Amino acid sequence: MFKRIGLLLAVTLAVGAFGTSVAADVTLTVAHPWTGDERDLFIPVLEAAEEALGITIGETVLRTEDLVTILPTQWAAGTAPADVIFITDTALLREGARGGHVANVSPLVDAEDYVAGTVEALTVDGEVYGAPFTQKPKPGFFYRHSFFEEHGLTPPEALEEFEALLDELMEIEGLTAPIASGDEVGWPLTDVTEHYIIAHAGAEVHRAVTECTATDEDWEAFEGVFTDVLVPHLEAGYFSEPIEWTTALERWWGGDFGIYFQGIFILGMVDDPDDVGVFTIPGADGVISSVDYLFVNQYSPNLDVAQELFQWLVTEGQVEQVQHGGHIGTYEPATDVELYPPAEREIADAIAPLTPLLDMDDTIGGVFQSTFWDELKLLWVAPDRVDEVLENVREAWEQECNN
Amino acid sequence: MRGQTLRRSLFIIPAVALIFAFAVYPALDTLWMSLWTPAGEFDPVANYSEVLGERHIINRRGFEAGRFPFGALPHTFIWIGIHLPLTTFLGLLLAVLLQRVRGSGIIKSIIFLGMVIPMVVGGLVIRFMFDGDLGVVNQLFGALGMQTRTWTAHPNSALLALIFGAVWLWTGFSLVLYSSGLATIPKDFYEAARIDGANAVQIFFKITFPLLKPITVVVVVMTVIWDLKMFDLVYAATMGGPGGSSNILAFQMWRYAFQQFNFNHAAVVAVLLFVITVFVAIPLVRRAR
Repeated sequence: MFKRIGLLLAVTLAVGAFGTSVAADVTLTVAHPWTGDERDLFIPVLEAAEEALGITIGETVLRTEDLVTILPTQWAAGTAPADVIFITDTALLREGARGGHVANVSPLVDAEDYVAGTVEALTVDGEVYGAPFTQKPKPGFFYRHSFFEEHGLTPPEALEEFEALLDELMEIEGLTAPIASGDEVGWPLTDVTEHYIIAHAGAEVHRAVTECTATDEDWEAFEGVFTDVLVPHLEAGYFSEPIEWTTALERWWGGDFGIYFQGIFILGMVDDPDDVGVFTIPGADGVISSVDYLFVNQYSPNLDVAQELFQWLVTEGQVEQVQHGGHIGTYEPATDVELYPPAEREIADAIAPLTPLLDMDDTIGGVFQSTFWDELKLLWVAPDRVDEVLENVREAWEQECNN
Repeated sequence: MRGQTLRRSLFIIPAVALIFAFAVYPALDTLWMSLWTPAGEFDPVANYSEVLGERHIINRRGFEAGRFPFGALPHTFIWIGIHLPLTTFLGLLLAVLLQRVRGSGIIKSIIFLGMVIPMVVGGLVIRFMFDGDLGVVNQLFGALGMQTRTWTAHPNSALLALIFGAVWLWTGFSLVLYSSGLATIPKDFYEAARIDGANAVQIFFKITFPLLKPITVVVVVMTVIWDLKMFDLVYAATMGGPGGSSNILAFQMWRYAFQQFNFNHAAVVAVLLFVITVFVAIPLVRRAR
């Protein structure tokens, strides 16, 4: 009998010890939007986090357009798909904060350490509910140095030179179109359109529309960009039909298109980033960036550790990330251009004098984003319907901004 | 006897409970939700008229201009009006043609592949099939000297491209059902008809097609239901665009519910879908009897 009791006691102690050691090996899940080459650039950051924090990190891929559907329904059930979640839709994040679904990270984040405006976008009633990870500027039109040299082309330094360049590209035999138009849900088209708005209406008009403070004069300037510049360029055939954006990237790299408006992240997706140059439309006084924000799931079973991971990612994690290319930091130490690969360094230097602006559709979100995306797809193939497009976009803007 | 009946009834209680919990209650709750406005007022007329008045559901400007988008409701009827007869006819034609062909099993299996792939995958395949430069459809059009373009990117062809892609995906269903139905028709009928001097066309319309009526009812009802709940194919291929030109009711319902979190309007669309299904299915089933 005593043997049996002793055996039972030993087994119980062993199970308890095992259970304790399992509990100490915390596994957190990070939800991020990257796949393929972009994911390959992010994995070293997670590995560095595992080493620094002594935890195990699992990952799941969830883009913002997936989170828009998943988060509200999961929040209503008192859960979320991961412990730490990347998102670009700040409106959704703020809504989650108001509902008590997002952890308050005010003690962990100092707004002065980050690019102006980025932490403010995640603040509700004075409390901070997230932080920016890296940003991906959409600095302008990317081109291949080798392609330009082969055809005797030079980046434009004046507005007239930009249109002259487009005409020169039209004359090149074998080129499908001067400008590749990326497609997916619609963000590549809104990105290039926002650049046109900045270049021809100004950074302040862009900011006013983005911040829902645009006056009628701002809207007149906004609409003028479409009717006076963008539509004529579309009708002239400068832009290709919308093509799935990674296919468009491959075709641009292969010489089917002359230039491609994109974000800095494509530097991590091409074979030779040193062959890549970028120029803005001359006169553009601002540059849009898509910022990946990070927040902590309030329902995480390991809330303390999740907050540690969050803090690491938005600080040291950024410093690690920018060294792998395709990202620009928002955290002050991560904005040191010496950390960046040569191609990113060149772009960071080029956009330094420009006013940083937040991505319009990401920031406003909701009905405006989906409408802006969808209507631009229509405009690209039917530029004669610009009036209808502008009316629908304005209606969606008013609906979202009045919410 | 009563005890036996009671014991038997106990076995169906779990199934009834599940059906009530996951089918009946949600349906009734959706109907109830559709009677309330998003502002929280009980006003069925206002809620339904607001939805039916939105350009996403019925686009009056499209009708005035005679061009897409016409709205999710008309688009859905266009979808059914083209997809249903094409799929039904193709399935029947293929079933008859392959009746006595050697290796027809393999051919039918290949055609049926469209049914077994996920619709999201089907949507992506359709997007690439109709791509301006890479798509197999444009390769064929180009070889015939016809215009080539990305058919899913243009407002006047996006919906049609999806419909024809859906014909490819769903024809396997009607083919398999009609093949099974043809196998049940006694050969004596055909022999007697030939003896009486009937030709192939007369045999088809006087014997084959009438005897396949029950199969036709099933094919039509199931196809209409499939068309009405079509969402994933549109989501993957076009997201309802460009400019809403390929938007259909089920996709708009998702937009209301999960993009705008307007569950009252989404419930209105759900009720509309239910009403359309009932109006189509009940007369067909009655005629089949």
